[in-house]
Amino acid sequence: MLHINNLSKKFGKKPILQSISFSVRQGEIIGLVGENGAGKSTLLNILATIQKPSDGNISLNELTYEKDRKDIRKQIGFVPQDIAIWDEFTVEENMIFFEKLAWRRKDKSELKQLCLDMELNKWGEPVKRLSGGMKRKLNLAISLIHDPELLLLDEPTVGIDLKSRKEIGNYLKRQAFHQKKLIIYTSHDMDEINNLCDRVICIGDDPFYKNLLMDMGKDVISF
Amino acid sequence: MMNVLKTRLIHWRKQVFPLLFWLLLPIIAVILLIQAANAIQADSKVPVGLVVEENTQFAKDLAASIKQTPFIRVYETTEEDAKLKLEQHELDSAFVIKEGYEDNVRKGSRNRLVTSYKSDLSFAYTPVSEMIISYVQQDTGRSKAAHTVKALSDNYSPDQQWSWEEVVTKSKEVEAEESLLHTTFTFADSAKEDEENEITILNTWGLWAVFSILSTLLLFDWVIRENRKSLIPRFTFIRFSYKNYFVLNTLLYTILLFLFDLAAVISFNLFLNEPFAMNIWVLLTYRLMLNAGAFLLALCFNNIYLFYSASFALTLFFGILSGAVIPIEGLTQRFQWLEYVNPLDAFLSGRNSSLWLAVLLFIFALWYVRKEKSDASH
Repeated sequence: MLHINNLSKKFGKKPILQSISFSVRQGEIIGLVGENGAGKSTLLNILATIQKPSDGNISLNELTYEKDRKDIRKQIGFVPQDIAIWDEFTVEENMIFFEKLAWRRKDKSELKQLCLDMELNKWGEPVKRLSGGMKRKLNLAISLIHDPELLLLDEPTVGIDLKSRKEIGNYLKRQAFHQKKLIIYTSHDMDEINNLCDRVICIGDDPFYKNLLMDMGKDVISF
Repeated sequence: MMNVLKTRLIHWRKQVFPLLFWLLLPIIAVILLIQAANAIQADSKVPVGLVVEENTQFAKDLAASIKQTPFIRVYETTEEDAKLKLEQHELDSAFVIKEGYEDNVRKGSRNRLVTSYKSDLSFAYTPVSEMIISYVQQDTGRSKAAHTVKALSDNYSPDQQWSWEEVVTKSKEVEAEESLLHTTFTFADSAKEDEENEITILNTWGLWAVFSILSTLLLFDWVIRENRKSLIPRFTFIRFSYKNYFVLNTLLYTILLFLFDLAAVISFNLFLNEPFAMNIWVLLTYRLMLNAGAFLLALCFNNIYLFYSASFALTLFFGILSGAVIPIEGLTQRFQWLEYVNPLDAFLSGRNSSLWLAVLLFIFALWYVRKEKSDASH
């Protein structure tokens, strides 16, 4: 269970996030929406321990972000918006490379299965020859090598074809449902958010997203 | 560490040929350059034929003196063969130490001791013949002096009987001890004379040091390739911080490069007859200095091609500044601070401590402990 209590973030004197509180249960997919610059990526970075909040508390399964930072990082899978893989390697080499540095060991067959689960079936293919969708899948697969409990995805489907988008969405749904992962997800694609997310957190002053999602019948929390 | 090595091996497998090229470049380039310089030096020597008709010590000593003369390549042969080769212009000139050389020297006769031949294309005949004449005059002068000393000894100190041979032998001993014919050249108003140094056209370890700067800098392009903004967040969620990852990889590169440094010591011994005189600690500290410098320099660049340009420019700069390739004694005597800013000075002087190493390791440590803007660096 992830608890965020009264979280705020300022850059200098400029407040970016103010008094954000919500909880995420096991197996739940949370969408994070808002206009550009509203603070979605900042919130995601704080939840990923990449940035520190100016105020407030966060805890994950009884571990607090302030005291148990290192242990919490072992339970987080972060999928950055930029594709963070080695272009000159094959899919296999990328998976092996990050497995060697990961907290949890996996053998080659497990790594291959992880790729196949998200329909990334180009094991021996050099990354530079992969489509954008395949690269996004590999970007996600690498973040899952250590079996994280909390999965944080920063626009993981931006700029890819519909088929790959659906495949990634289906995979995330399976992860939430079967593996009981907590998933927090940012996107500008409201159809995707509508189809994939159990609840939506709307950040920023603009009521556009909130109204749109409420029209779609979504459970929306806004800050 | 083993896991980092395995990840590094994946990178190295992808670039095995460039990696080997830059690792071997300092060794191969130095061997080729030195051997080419030696070959050019040998080819540029004047071919001179020498015929020794007499088997006396005096004749042998004269022949040995001629052979030791720099810039002359001596072919010992017969008079007929020497003349034939002279006609075919294979020899520049030929000299015959005639039968009776020692007897004539003993008698004080200075005529027709050595016969010379030249052709219409003998461009170096005059200096070579004058040089040989000077050796002969040295022998005849020594003989005349021996006769004079003996005569004086007979007249003024009859109880001390000096033979001609004893005086000649003593004269040669004094010449060897006092280096009577040694000359040093100094500039006017210079503080002191240079110490005697063997003249070498190219300095093996100096060349190697310069090529090593270039190859190390170019091998450290991995720092730019792997210091990607997009990849850094990944290191928050793996066992190694990105700084530890970089430090461990620098260590792996240091081990790899040091193994090739040791290979250079062996190769230079095998191919260039360099003695195993290289101090391992000096080599290791030089390697540490190079790697720390290359790593820190690479951290300053985002554009790999700018880094390559800077690497070539720096190598050229240090190559000239260090005096490793071209002697710069004149400059360092005038500007002594050049020795302090020269990163190769400690290595070429055989010292295992260097100001550069200390400064670079200090900056390296500062980089390691400095807190990054992002909280995720540690």
